[in-house]
Amino acid sequence: MGLEMDPLLHALSYFRRRKFQQCSDLCSQLLEKEPSDQAAWCLKVRALTEMVYVDEIDVDQEGIAEMMLDENAIAQVARPGTSLKVPGTSQGGGPSQAVRPVTQTGRPLTGFVRPSTQGGRPGTIEQAIKTPRTAHTARPMTSASGRYVRLGTASMLTNPDGPFINVSKLNLNSYAEKPKLAKALFEYIFHHENDVKNALDLAAYATQHAQFKDWWWKVQIGKCYYRLGLYREAETQFKSALRQQDMVDTILYLAKVYSRLDQPLTALNVFKQGLDRFPGEVSLICGIARIHEEMNNISAAAECYKDVLKQDNTHVEAIACIGSNHFYSDQPEIALRFYRRLLQMGIYNCQLFNNLGLCCFYAQQYDMILTSFERALSLAESEEEAADVWYNLGHVAVGIGDINLAYQCFKLTLANNNDHSEAYNNLAVLEMQKGRVEQARVFLQTASLIAPHMYEPHFNFAVLSEKVGDLQRSYMAAQKSQEIFQEHVDTQQLINQLKQHFARL
Amino acid sequence: MPTTTPWPTCTRFPLVSPWPTSTATETVSWWWVTWVRRGHEMKLKVYQGTGLLSENALPDLPVSVTTFLMEQHEPRMPAVAVASGPFVYVYKNLRPYFKFTLPPLELNPMEKSVWDQAKEDKVDLMSMKEMLEQIRENAEMPLSVQSLRFLSLDLPEMESFVNQYKMQPIKRQTVITCMATLKKNMVDEDAVSCLVIGTENNEILILDPEAFTILAKMMVPSVPAFLDVTGQFDVEYRLTVACRSGCVYILRRDSKRPKYCIELSAQALGLVRVQKNIVAACSDEMLQSYTQKGKKLWVISLPATPVTMSLLDEKFQSFQAVLVALANMEVHMYRDKNLVNVIQTQDIVTSICFGRYGREDNTLVMTTKGGGLIIKILKRTATFHKGDTAVGAPVAQSIKLNVPKKTKLYVDQTLRERESGVAMHRVFQTDLSRIRLVAARAYVRALECSMAPVSESLQEPLKMNAVVQGMGPTFKLSLNLQNMSETRAVANLLVSFLYDEKLYSVAQPFFKAPMLVPGLNYPLVTFVQCLSTQGISDIIKVFVLREGASEPLLTAHINMPVSEGLAAV
Repeated sequence: MGLEMDPLLHALSYFRRRKFQQCSDLCSQLLEKEPSDQAAWCLKVRALTEMVYVDEIDVDQEGIAEMMLDENAIAQVARPGTSLKVPGTSQGGGPSQAVRPVTQTGRPLTGFVRPSTQGGRPGTIEQAIKTPRTAHTARPMTSASGRYVRLGTASMLTNPDGPFINVSKLNLNSYAEKPKLAKALFEYIFHHENDVKNALDLAAYATQHAQFKDWWWKVQIGKCYYRLGLYREAETQFKSALRQQDMVDTILYLAKVYSRLDQPLTALNVFKQGLDRFPGEVSLICGIARIHEEMNNISAAAECYKDVLKQDNTHVEAIACIGSNHFYSDQPEIALRFYRRLLQMGIYNCQLFNNLGLCCFYAQQYDMILTSFERALSLAESEEEAADVWYNLGHVAVGIGDINLAYQCFKLTLANNNDHSEAYNNLAVLEMQKGRVEQARVFLQTASLIAPHMYEPHFNFAVLSEKVGDLQRSYMAAQKSQEIFQEHVDTQQLINQLKQHFARL
Repeated sequence: MPTTTPWPTCTRFPLVSPWPTSTATETVSWWWVTWVRRGHEMKLKVYQGTGLLSENALPDLPVSVTTFLMEQHEPRMPAVAVASGPFVYVYKNLRPYFKFTLPPLELNPMEKSVWDQAKEDKVDLMSMKEMLEQIRENAEMPLSVQSLRFLSLDLPEMESFVNQYKMQPIKRQTVITCMATLKKNMVDEDAVSCLVIGTENNEILILDPEAFTILAKMMVPSVPAFLDVTGQFDVEYRLTVACRSGCVYILRRDSKRPKYCIELSAQALGLVRVQKNIVAACSDEMLQSYTQKGKKLWVISLPATPVTMSLLDEKFQSFQAVLVALANMEVHMYRDKNLVNVIQTQDIVTSICFGRYGREDNTLVMTTKGGGLIIKILKRTATFHKGDTAVGAPVAQSIKLNVPKKTKLYVDQTLRERESGVAMHRVFQTDLSRIRLVAARAYVRALECSMAPVSESLQEPLKMNAVVQGMGPTFKLSLNLQNMSETRAVANLLVSFLYDEKLYSVAQPFFKAPMLVPGLNYPLVTFVQCLSTQGISDIIKVFVLREGASEPLLTAHINMPVSEGLAAV
């Protein structure tokens, strides 16, 4: 033993090794001995920040308030291809709704779950505040509260003595004069305390002291404005920062502001200008791809993701998105390759095995299907995941004609996830085949209640009612189905048939 | 299709009559003939150029008008034959020349005896009526027009009718339904031709052009409606007869009965022979083609009901097509099954005739329903798109669909499948039985715990789903309970909640559900208050129980959303 490491160095080493708790404890001891030790104080602040640090760029979840009470919308009825809010503005010839399922807002499912892909934009307030806002898929009320507060308070819970720094008592102006301390303090206030107003004050003082020459502070001010919902102000800050210093981060922030302002084309331009300065930058290409995807331009998105893979061949998001794109464009064998690549990269979870199983099934690799699903089932962490596996197993069972097994699988899906509307729909079809009309009817009604964005329950209901002879209901359901999915040929045929019936009556 | 219309000249003028229903037109080298009806007055009109050449009054409604050459003498002026009722009126040099009457039909001897008795006043009206009715019911031979008219009269009129007609001999007469011409013994354009007549009593007669005697007589199973004739009478000829029964019969020289029969899908509205094939437009909006022996060649659907049809025979380019006038005011031109031209008209075309008119070889004359007359001349340089004349697959079959290409990977995988198919199958079957076992176990467990939101029991087939609304700290929890049975209502159900009491408080943690009538959705609402301030959420379980039973019928797990209300404070 004998040799004792210098405690500050030890703490620094802990910090490097990302053992933040130990680092923070050590710094606390140092600060007890000497309260004005700036180095220890700074290190502790940084350690505490790192503990709760979330990359600002990726955390982009619009709260209900932002979405529903949006005042930044420029045109109420945007022209096709210029807005993220109109899901029907597809130009990129992706697979139709009949092949690739859609989310609540009519956007094709993506291959990779990001915060912004979870719910999409609900059309009405009622839709927005309904159940899907559960712990797994929660959409916070406003981005200024829910999610960020939880991140902040999570660290507060572990600190029973109260906060390390009492921000309201600090003289921010004096800190702003010490740029090195100020930066650490700002991050602490912003990320750990989640006190955007004070952070903004500090940043404002600091940028004044730096004579508006430090781009870093400008970006921070922009971040604060963004959090506060002052997008136009944030835009000017980011632009000014970009004039001083080209930074990928800043470009990403700026594009984020534009996509929040519902100007996807401007955001694309920002990305493209960024690419001129940083050719081949993965996060920029990926941003372009995401915007294309949100605008329903799936094929363009796939192209961008391919570019991403040329630069970084272990990019999980790109691999997953290209994989799902291939899967839905009738090339499951290629999708299988991509998912296998993910597996090789060490991703080992329920969703991946689920996808592998499905790809095997559609690519006719029968020996791998069920083992994949079995593994997915054993890896399922939540009931929702298990429900999805059972649902896919149900599909396989339908495919091999084992109706009994399919029935059990869909039932198990429902037992695991009460809101699985697809399972309700498929169960209804099975009941229809068995001739149990009443059950089928109830299931279809439930499915359409849970998932108003799906056309299948409406269409099936129309077919069922037509078979029973209830033409009026059939017509109404068929019209609903057509409203959701206009190009659906079977619905159109059914409506024509019904119209003929009515004309004959 | 040609870029410019091949029908450049169009003369259109109304016929003299306000309501002409002209169903027959015929062009002959210099003039064309049509008949016109105004009220009950019917006229045969002959035009030259666009001017009227002659006009003759017709005694009755004509069914068919045709021109034919009667004799070899020069100058060869064709005669006009107008079939109307039981007569064929022949006009020569535009003047009435001869009236041919169909031979009277054999009479029913019983009917004859009845009328003989009437002549001698041996029978009263009532018994006469009874006897005639009996004959009408039972006898194979139909009654004469006179008897039928008598039967349709009321009692007071009968006597005068009998008195008026009893002295006249009764006769049974049939009427002409269609007429065509057949070359006598030469194929020349201006050769002598015979008239071919179809009658209402299923007969087909061929008349001598000079003496108007019946040269041949044939029977068909139904009433002929359209006739098409080819060949020469003295050598060999072939009659194609479309009948009202929807059948087409083909007869040949020396055959008293039809040789072939084609059953169409519906009644024919026109019949045309193109070279050796028969094309018929049917009332089900189909244009069908058959060979001479009755083999079906093709069927195409028309955009509207056909009205009439005619053959377009362009000699110079030897181009043959079928013109079909449709009820949607269009005339379609088909070469085989390909549509090569569409002529838009202002009115529905009721008759079409294509042929030489004046100096113009290819003239199309059409009369319309409202009384219009359209003359179109085919451009001499016009070429028609020949269409897809290739035999075999239609064009649509060769259009490539946008099917994604099968990748090399796919081919490799199929190779693997082929090589180790047995092993793959075995693995799959083993896995399948294992999965079946796993699924069955899980299913039984789910059933035992009533985990599913759908109850399968025969007594209470129920279904529930739960919706949470609100932002917190108070949430509205609505349970949608529905009875899925066909007839039976379910009563005495209880609803209870299981939750972490530190986190939530439910306004009504236990209540009785109302009686559930089948098919209706029962929304049961209760309120949940979130007690935690820390943005934590939990699951609330809902049970639906039968009264007195401890096992739940249904269970639903509700993932509660995070309470925003308190967290934001």
